[in-house]
Amino acid sequence: MAPQLTLQAPLELPPAEVPGYLDRLWGEALQESTGAATFTLLVWEPSWLQQQLIRTGRIDGPLSGLLNGELLEAARQVVGEVGLPTSTAPMAPEVAWRLGQQAGDHSAEDLRGQFVDRAISAHRPRRLITLAPTLAADHPLETLVAAYCPLAEERSGSEDACGDVVVLRGGMGAIEQGLAMLQPLIPAELPCWVWWNGSMDESPELLEALAVPPRRLVVDSSIGEPRRCLDLLVDRIELGQAVNDLNWLRLRSWRESLAMVFDPPRRQLALDQVVQLDIDVEGNHPVKGLLLAAWIADRLGWHLQSSYWIHGDRPEGLGIGAEFQRTDGQSVQFRLMPVPVGISKTHPGALVGLRLICAPAGQSPLCVILCSESGGCMRLEAGGVASMELAEEVVPLPNESEEMEMARLLAGGHDSTNPLLAAAAPLAAKLLPS
Amino acid sequence: MAATQTNPLRVGLRQERVISPQCLVIFGASGDLTHRKLIPALFELFRQRRLPTEFAVLGCARRPWSDEDFRSRMAEALAEEVKQHQSAWQQFAACLFYEPVDLQQDEDVVRLGTRLEAIDRLRATRGNRTFYLSVSPAFYGSGCRALAAAGLLRDPARSRVVIEKPFGTDYASAEQLNRVVQACGQEQQIFRIDHYLGKETVQNILVLRFANTIFEPIWNRNYIANVQITAAETVGVEERAGYYESSGALRDMVQNHLTQMLALTTMEAPGRFDPEAIRNEKAKVLQAARLANEDEPWKCCVRGQYSRGGSPAMPLSGYRQEPGVNPNSTTETYVAMKLFIDNWRWQGVPFYLRTGKRLPKRLSEVVLTFREAPVHLFDAAGGSPTANQLVLRIQPDEGAGFVFEVKAPGSGMRSRPVDMHFSYDESFGEPSDEGYVRLLADAMLGDPTLFTRSDEVEAAWRLYTPLLELIEEAPWQLPVQPYEAGTWGPGAADSLLADDGLLWRRP
Ligand SMILES: NC(=O)c1ccc[n+]([C@@H]2O[C@H](COP(=O)([O-])OP(=O)(O)OC[C@H]3O[C@@H](n4cnc5c(N)ncnc54)[C@H](OP(=O)(O)O)[C@@H]3O)[C@@H](O)[C@H]2O)c1
Repeated sequence: MAPQLTLQAPLELPPAEVPGYLDRLWGEALQESTGAATFTLLVWEPSWLQQQLIRTGRIDGPLSGLLNGELLEAARQVVGEVGLPTSTAPMAPEVAWRLGQQAGDHSAEDLRGQFVDRAISAHRPRRLITLAPTLAADHPLETLVAAYCPLAEERSGSEDACGDVVVLRGGMGAIEQGLAMLQPLIPAELPCWVWWNGSMDESPELLEALAVPPRRLVVDSSIGEPRRCLDLLVDRIELGQAVNDLNWLRLRSWRESLAMVFDPPRRQLALDQVVQLDIDVEGNHPVKGLLLAAWIADRLGWHLQSSYWIHGDRPEGLGIGAEFQRTDGQSVQFRLMPVPVGISKTHPGALVGLRLICAPAGQSPLCVILCSESGGCMRLEAGGVASMELAEEVVPLPNESEEMEMARLLAGGHDSTNPLLAAAAPLAAKLLPS
Repeated sequence: MAATQTNPLRVGLRQERVISPQCLVIFGASGDLTHRKLIPALFELFRQRRLPTEFAVLGCARRPWSDEDFRSRMAEALAEEVKQHQSAWQQFAACLFYEPVDLQQDEDVVRLGTRLEAIDRLRATRGNRTFYLSVSPAFYGSGCRALAAAGLLRDPARSRVVIEKPFGTDYASAEQLNRVVQACGQEQQIFRIDHYLGKETVQNILVLRFANTIFEPIWNRNYIANVQITAAETVGVEERAGYYESSGALRDMVQNHLTQMLALTTMEAPGRFDPEAIRNEKAKVLQAARLANEDEPWKCCVRGQYSRGGSPAMPLSGYRQEPGVNPNSTTETYVAMKLFIDNWRWQGVPFYLRTGKRLPKRLSEVVLTFREAPVHLFDAAGGSPTANQLVLRIQPDEGAGFVFEVKAPGSGMRSRPVDMHFSYDESFGEPSDEGYVRLLADAMLGDPTLFTRSDEVEAAWRLYTPLLELIEEAPWQLPVQPYEAGTWGPGAADSLLADDGLLWRRP
């Protein structure tokens, strides 16, 4: 879906005048409109990768904050050029960081916060606030405001359920200074989503200030240092906040495929007899794989006994091993291995394959292998599985953009964390050896 | 579908389609359907976390209840579930509200509008509304009119109306009701319920036909000899006599449920899986359907009524002896009929429909019988070879079966039929959404696939108009024939097929 610039040209105002202007906008200009009783969406939109790719002249502007094929292609090229392992995902923060070391002073128009994806605008956010930090740390604070209505063809009926858009742009110092102005702009009576569309380990104070409960937090635990990602998830969940993790949501097709294997009642007994679980992930980011393992362990009632690093000489990094105890006291061995891939997926730590071995008493063992659509999983297919009953499935790649995932969240929404994620995250955090 | 063991990995995976924040307004909130079906279905959705936090149910009826009254009545009605899930019920009950509304008083409906705005602010329900008319059919038209007059249906993207069955009592009344309803909003806002479409296995007819390549090439007059569609019930009229006396099996079952099964079985492949594309094809095939003998409809239809039966240990009373039934009633509790579909695919293939109460088994199925092999090379163990049959079982034991000939074991080359069998329970073992859970979720999602469109409803009524007129004007030509309770209907229904050299399938 092509992103839409659904706004009239936004107005640049001195920060101090913004609240007054918005009040007037709703009071006078939009007198007939009460504003939709919908929600506020607050987005942290650093787009460091896009900014660096533009600055170094690798892609053209404008700076939109949206991912597209050209951007990902350019980022993959950088991975090769600077000698990062080929399994490094374009969205891995080290890619943008490496680019930051390179020279360049290209610039482009900054339209962050002004593109509203149609999937999102269809839900008519009452207020869309974007924080758009610039590479130049000393950039002064700029504030842009616009009233916003869905495009004519999206509008149905005569009701003007309109919203407004606010963009805060500037260096990090300026953004922090803008925070004070921001708080009163978030209508207290409406739900507010805070989408941390950046690395989970950057600007912790800012995150702290923006993501106060009961605001609903949206993060992506594939971006950022794994320990920090998991700890943050766990902290927030324990706080009782509604946390949505895009990395967890991207596991849906894996969960569905695995559940499908065990739908026939004759297979369900085998679920109590799992002896081994192996997961292969792309590159050096285990969080997604750990979340999957933790979900399985939680659903099947396993208790974690121990976890440890598996050393090797792989350029991708260390593996993780663990032992669980089943409800009947038997043990389950778990291994998560980083594996090299030729072309990485967009986000770090994408799943390559999963193998589950069940050994029901008195029957031949069952070996379930799930493979990602785009690659083989030869490692998991090798080694002693020939004598087992084999159930092999290919897991389709999700083909949705971040904005589509986000739109799906905004379409419904809960004021508490999904119980499955709430159970899996703490276990995943324990699985990651210290 | 029978609930067997649940798959622990499947929990929480049904969240593909997200129900948007909205207020569900139930008219008839003090009625039977609300506490028996609607609120339990909503509570089920709530417990599955499929309702958003920004959600409200506003119950409406004439009696002057308060929010609290409504909550406690519903808690009473659902006592068992409430006891099992107390804290969930507390949360759910917090989104139940009540407003006294008489649908025939315009000012009540205007006041409803104000209340809805207050709920939007209170629950951030985004001005999204689903209006569910669970009131007497006499109010469907006036209810829609009142909603439209109060401006509550103005935005087609954010308001929809769900209309319970029955939709009309004949072609003229359905057309008239459609005219009224369509004047109040756009067709996409109108959700006419057909409970059969909420059944997973009815939907499976579509998937079986159009997700597989092996069926479509033979799904036509060149290969199919005849089709039987059966919906049999073991129960009698029970406490529904008041309604049933004025409706009968033809209106209660055939015009809607059996006709939907017929449409799904016979429609052309839609260009894409899109509600409108599917409904176009269904409407088209129904428009091509006709009674086998429209000039003399009594020759292609049999009506029956159950009389006393059962065993001395378990005597069953006859329909005319049931409480609330006129002792001289001529309402049919059984119908069988023969139809044709005049199009390239089905020309000349007879379709036999039957439904009845107090039959020996509860079951719904579609049976496609294929043409015989052109030459009989083998002796059949049972005399003549059995034709291939594809059986789509809707209930119970949902699934599909295929009957074909194999070599009988032993010396010689004799053939005998075997049954290849697929069962939902054995393959999935998972209770799927049934009935109201599915239909309510779809209506709130704004997905009309499982609801019937105006032209479908009209085509279905038009199909049976010659019969309805005959029953009205010359009932002696199509008398109700008694059949003993607990048997497969009157003998005349067997003759209907015997005339074509066929038998009903004995399931
Ligand atoms: N029950 C079932 O199992 C079932 C199955 C299939 C279809 N249906 C259909 O579902 C609908 C409802 O059935 P039901 O069994 O629930 O009927 P019911 O028990 O008779 O309830 C009718 C409801 O309508 C309300 N009502 C009557 N006049 C009204 C008016 N002028 N304005 C607003 N509300 C009014 C009544 O409450 P007040 O008296 O307080 O106004 C009551 O809550 C019917 O169309 C029926 O055909 C029912």
